[in-house]
Amino acid sequence: MAAPMAVSRDICSLARIFVGISQLGTRGLSACRSHRKCNIIRSHLPLTSSTFFHTGAVFSSTPSSITVTDEPDTLFQKVSVLVKGHDRAVLDSYEFFATMTAKELGITLGKVFEPPKDIDRFTLLKSIHIFKKHRVQYEMRTHYRCIELSHVTGCTAQVYLEYIQRNLPEGVAMEVSKTAMEKVPDHILQPIWNDKPTDNKPSQSEQS
Amino acid sequence: MAAHTSKAFLSLGRITGPVLGLHSSLNRVTYATGLSGKADFPNRGKKPRRDAGKPRTEKMAVDQDWTAVYPAAAPFRPGSVPIPVRMGYPVKGGVPPEKNGNLELIKIPNFLHLTPAAIKKHCEALKPFCTEWPSALDTHGKCDEHFPIKMESTDYVSAGTSLRNPSARIVHLKVKLSSLNLDDHARKKMLKLVGERYCKDTDVLTIRTDSCPLKQQNYDYALYLLTVLYHESWKTEAWEAEKTVADMEEYSWEDSPSQKNILDTLVRMKVAGEGEGEELRQELLGRREVQDYKDSVTRLKNEGESENTMLQYREAVKKVLNL
Repeated sequence: MAAPMAVSRDICSLARIFVGISQLGTRGLSACRSHRKCNIIRSHLPLTSSTFFHTGAVFSSTPSSITVTDEPDTLFQKVSVLVKGHDRAVLDSYEFFATMTAKELGITLGKVFEPPKDIDRFTLLKSIHIFKKHRVQYEMRTHYRCIELSHVTGCTAQVYLEYIQRNLPEGVAMEVSKTAMEKVPDHILQPIWNDKPTDNKPSQSEQS
Repeated sequence: MAAHTSKAFLSLGRITGPVLGLHSSLNRVTYATGLSGKADFPNRGKKPRRDAGKPRTEKMAVDQDWTAVYPAAAPFRPGSVPIPVRMGYPVKGGVPPEKNGNLELIKIPNFLHLTPAAIKKHCEALKPFCTEWPSALDTHGKCDEHFPIKMESTDYVSAGTSLRNPSARIVHLKVKLSSLNLDDHARKKMLKLVGERYCKDTDVLTIRTDSCPLKQQNYDYALYLLTVLYHESWKTEAWEAEKTVADMEEYSWEDSPSQKNILDTLVRMKVAGEGEGEELRQELLGRREVQDYKDSVTRLKNEGESENTMLQYREAVKKVLNL
């Protein structure tokens, strides 16, 4: 009984990662945060691909199909991933994993460094009642690791971050700061006062 | 694994009553109890436990597919990992305990499912979803020229009772003022409106918005603030004509006490040798030494005192006063 259970567990997990790319996609869509514009929209379900009209060919071997839209992709000048944990060895392994993933996906790595650790220490009374002279001291150590990626597109960043975050080990937290680049919006190119001088000045004098 | 669960069910069955699917096993239990002797204390009344057998590690080939053994994150199984790893505090004069029955190895998160082979496989599957960075934007200079506005935001991932982090709503908008279409008056007014949010060294205006509860709202608000600042700085109000010398950002030499003083001194020294009046002053102003003096004083006042500026002032004064 043990063997079949283990095998079925493995198959389920395999399904979660390999075959379930489309499921990754659906969860990614729902978990979409600041990525308003996506060049690639992942389609929903693999089996009924005939319902989707897209420019690309339908591959019968891969269950997921990729739709390419004309919306411009967000461009990130820098994506900084800071991981925090209590164990330095775990962060070492995670850094190896993250840097290797970035290299495989073709993302340029900026700095990969280790900010100095923080130690929170506090002193408590050892006994629940009296015995003020006898205390016990605890400390919490927080180790950090920072991985900076430079020049990433929105889609690539979403794929990389989702993959990284799904494989975040237990007891490790992450902060991701993204610097998105944008053009100057059209309404800031020229001052509006040049077009309508007569309208604005009387209204200003009325208000002031 | 299965033996454990069946044992648990059996014990439950004895207390509460026979569970539906396990009639046959209960019958087996009563039969087995009759046969076992007193030596069978830990397993009395239970099905005899079968042998564990050889661990799977001995049957593993050297060139097996490891991604099939650990396809997803799973706790450490000593019978599935063919490495003689030891972990823990060593016994006195001894070595750390071995992997069988080692809780330390189970507690710590393992990366057995993320070996380089597995990462390569995952990345191959993820590659079609990635897009390439435009090759024309390879330097920071080009990026700044075409995309001068930078929006910074932070997302947080952590385990806890709630997924939300209130700091995730903060948005920083950074833009270089040189990339905006501002004339001289507009730039000065913008700097006065913005105050501390501007950094003179890098010419970067930073607007930090955190007043709205959602990141999207803060992003829109930051762009709105930039728009309003830009248009307001192009406007010239009536009361701006009352700008005094104390409000000026830079020192200008025209109509300053320094100009009056130097002209008075030169007139007194009778440099020109002609009559007094406006023409004399204009003529003096046009002289090269006076212009040099004007440059040196302006530079001193605007840039502060340093070796270069003081030397320049000294040279200019010597020339003007013919020392």
